[in-house]
Amino acid sequence: MMSLTLEGVVLIGALGLIVIGALGMAISNHLFRMLLALVIAESGANLLIVLSGYRVGASAPILGFSDPTTPMVDPIPQVLVLTAIVIGVGVQALAVALLLKVYRVYGTLNVRELRDRMDADVATAAGVEADASQDAPAGERPLPPVPARASGGAGGFGRRGPVTFPPHSDERRP
Amino acid sequence: MIPDIALPNLFVAQPGQLVLPVVLPLLAAFLMQPLARVSTALARGLGPLVLILSAWITAQLWIQLGDAPFTLAIGGFAPPLGILFYADGIALLFALAVPVFALLFWPGSGSGGDAVAGSGPDSNQADRDQAARRDALVLLLVAATTGLALSGDLFNLYVFYELAAVASFGLVALSGTGRAQVATFRYLMISAFGSVLALVGIAILYMQTGTLNLGQIAQLAPETLNNPIGSAAFALMLIGFGVKAELFPVNTWVPEVYAGAPARVSALLAGLVSKLAVLVIVRLLVLIFPQPEAAQMLLVLGVLGVLTGEFAAWRAKDFPRMLAFSSIGQLGIVFVAFSIGGEIGLLAGLAVALHHLIVKSALFGLAVRWNGSLEALSGAARTSPLGAALFVLFALSLVGVPPLPGFWAKLTVLIGLAERGTPLDMTALMVILLVTAVEASYLFRVAIRLYQDNPDPVAPHARRDLGVAALLGAVLVAATLGLRPVADVLGAGAAQLGDRAGYIETVFPSHVAGKDRP
Repeated sequence: MMSLTLEGVVLIGALGLIVIGALGMAISNHLFRMLLALVIAESGANLLIVLSGYRVGASAPILGFSDPTTPMVDPIPQVLVLTAIVIGVGVQALAVALLLKVYRVYGTLNVRELRDRMDADVATAAGVEADASQDAPAGERPLPPVPARASGGAGGFGRRGPVTFPPHSDERRP
Repeated sequence: MIPDIALPNLFVAQPGQLVLPVVLPLLAAFLMQPLARVSTALARGLGPLVLILSAWITAQLWIQLGDAPFTLAIGGFAPPLGILFYADGIALLFALAVPVFALLFWPGSGSGGDAVAGSGPDSNQADRDQAARRDALVLLLVAATTGLALSGDLFNLYVFYELAAVASFGLVALSGTGRAQVATFRYLMISAFGSVLALVGIAILYMQTGTLNLGQIAQLAPETLNNPIGSAAFALMLIGFGVKAELFPVNTWVPEVYAGAPARVSALLAGLVSKLAVLVIVRLLVLIFPQPEAAQMLLVLGVLGVLTGEFAAWRAKDFPRMLAFSSIGQLGIVFVAFSIGGEIGLLAGLAVALHHLIVKSALFGLAVRWNGSLEALSGAARTSPLGAALFVLFALSLVGVPPLPGFWAKLTVLIGLAERGTPLDMTALMVILLVTAVEASYLFRVAIRLYQDNPDPVAPHARRDLGVAALLGAVLVAATLGLRPVADVLGAGAAQLGDRAGYIETVFPSHVAGKDRP
């Protein structure tokens, strides 16, 4: 029977973070929560990579900053994680920016409302009739109106003046 | 290796110039914004200039160094340590296709059809900024996809993949409509989660082998990765890199993005970027994961992609979404072909992939004007007879009507499946035959509608849109006439692509390793 080492605990923790993130992305119905779940999954993956280069009792992989007789941890995973963190932060920033724009146009970040709106939008733009939603009877399911201020989504970044958010429409209808 | 590239002699390409097709577009992408502040004309000319230069350098290298694969250690660090570019015939072919297709679908010149308003010469400062931003993103996409074709290092593949992903998010979102932004966000979530999985796969590979160099992993793979852990790593990386390649469970972003993005961007994403992601997956499959479970996984996912894509395309009611779903189906066939393995499988996969690159790009080129519902296309042959004729040509080739290249590509897949002949293969064969009928049904339905009588047909195509499609159609016809040489080139490429020992030998030449020395 293998005893549970520190690495074992961290390994399980890292995999757990990835699973939590995946489940969170699958079950949340709010786009911002999905983004947070993604962040959790990413940190799990980063933890896993750092762990792959970990040596017990080793020092940081920086030349000249540690006792040369002690072993160093493997520097490659550390480099990889740095790169992965930078990429991850960039993608998350882009995602938040997109969320802002989506909220300005549709006035909601609720996945279901957005999906209905988008189906209608895509269908209108293409000039065809939208498919009936699977979880709503065809015909009667009016969407709350898009705030008037938000009409016309095009334009440059940040030229719109101060952001005033429309009233919260995250409440689910019965 | 600065002396090598300091003064590029453009008529005698050296291996050191291999970095230029990646570095130049990257540099130009970041110079684009400041340059646009100084001079609009300069910024507008920069992109095409850089693309032509990249294509020229790649073509030179391809002609001169054609059959012999070579490597380039960036910064002069020898292979297992440094970053490595690996170029063989296929890598150079794809690296050449990237700038050429980017040029064909270059967004500037304002021929209309883009959702970005007012890209004409006399538009205001905001529009010019927007145009510079868009050009920069296309150049970024070019740099990243060229890097994907050439990179011989696992983590570099990941970085270039992410760069391509971010550039394509930007391109899709730039069209400015709300639905494009929601589509981009969902694409971003799926893609970013795929990247997390790919990263975990890379971590597993690193734990198992202790290296990130593809050549060295290939050397170690038979002992260290031919086990369930290796298969798990392959599954993770397959799902991760499969997001861009429109692999079955992670392709739900495809229809929304292609319906929301400008048709040019869809052409680049569906034609080019998906093929580069496929190339990455095939390299992983050939070099690192020789176990049969990996190929089976690819086969099953490919078959599911074929089925879902083609039936969804049959149901689609508008032109871009029909093309998007049919793209999923076609890439499913590509995966089925590559899963056969061996030379015939690789040949079939390359043939289907390149055929799809040409045909689907051209069809999205036509969709620049026909981006509405299929109903509205009735009678369009009257206003753009050439466009309708080209559509029929591409549809025939896509379905696989005999003299056209699409037929030979599909036939090679079927022969490969029949030769291996396990029950799973025979199922795949049946599925491909079945969906060919479905494909024919929905494509010919559109063709018939195009030639219907309608007093009020849609607006005709601009000349430039038709020009691109006509050019690609000419390529298709030329390939039909010169089938033998094309097949020979592809066969040589497939042999090189499948040559694992050759890859390892090129990365770690044995005469350097000290065996031959006294």
